[in-house]
Amino acid sequence: MAITAGITLTSAAGDLVTDALVLSTSTNLTKAGSSTSALTQTSGLARKTTESASQYILFDADDYPSGPAKAGKIYLKNTETTAGLFFTISIDTKTIGRIYAGDFAFLPWSNIDGTNDIKITPSTSASHTLEYMLFYE
Amino acid sequence: MATTTASLTLTSTDLFDDSLSLSNTSTLHKAGTTIGLDQTTGLTKTYVTATQQFDPFPMVKGTTNANENGRVYIANLSEDETEYIIVTIGDLVIGRLYAGDFMWMPWSPKARHVNDIEITPSVATGMWVEFMAIHNFANIYPDSADS
Repeated sequence: MAITAGITLTSAAGDLVTDALVLSTSTNLTKAGSSTSALTQTSGLARKTTESASQYILFDADDYPSGPAKAGKIYLKNTETTAGLFFTISIDTKTIGRIYAGDFAFLPWSNIDGTNDIKITPSTSASHTLEYMLFYE
Repeated sequence: MATTTASLTLTSTDLFDDSLSLSNTSTLHKAGTTIGLDQTTGLTKTYVTATQQFDPFPMVKGTTNANENGRVYIANLSEDETEYIIVTIGDLVIGRLYAGDFMWMPWSPKARHVNDIEITPSVATGMWVEFMAIHNFANIYPDSADS
């Protein structure tokens, strides 16, 4: 079994910096400490449409295996197209950052002791849609 | 205007009965606009030889940057499957990047030390780590050694 994640960052010469930026890397999503044993479980690719500016729990840490040596990867995407609409991403009580319209994030998740809930807070109470997926062992 | 794009792919032919083939491209904009992010720390590649936690990016000087926008790329370039780095924001552990893993996430620094991103290598025998922030923060720049 194999799950591959790849990222490419590009910017033409003279845009972000004077030289061109072309960064590309990929990795197989594997269990902690193994280069060959793939992550086998997933939440599935899901969508959530929010209708209030309240904070929502996307992944309740109590529902997933805990421990620092458990590998997890989270994918998030703000599917909105209006530039000003964003989701604030938090883990437990800590704000990580905002993903604006069209933005995505891909980050590891250490559900150390069952407290690291993944949470989102929409920027407004209008309808906002987020796409998300968790891979874990 | 600076135009920087990020593309992410997630693929698998055997995780599900059906195949997974997810692809996204995003242009990096300043908060709430279609104006490109125009600052970067530059792509840094460093060889770390201690298990001491370190800050890969300059610390925030102001009191709040919550309305500004930033993206962070971090990769563990180690080829030893047992070696990892722990990525932390403030006092919260986000997760571990094992050999070859990368992450791409938003970053909204707030007051100094509150949302600093930190990296802790798992071994002191030497690991290559790569990182870059692309942002429009007004109050993030390196400290003078004299200050």
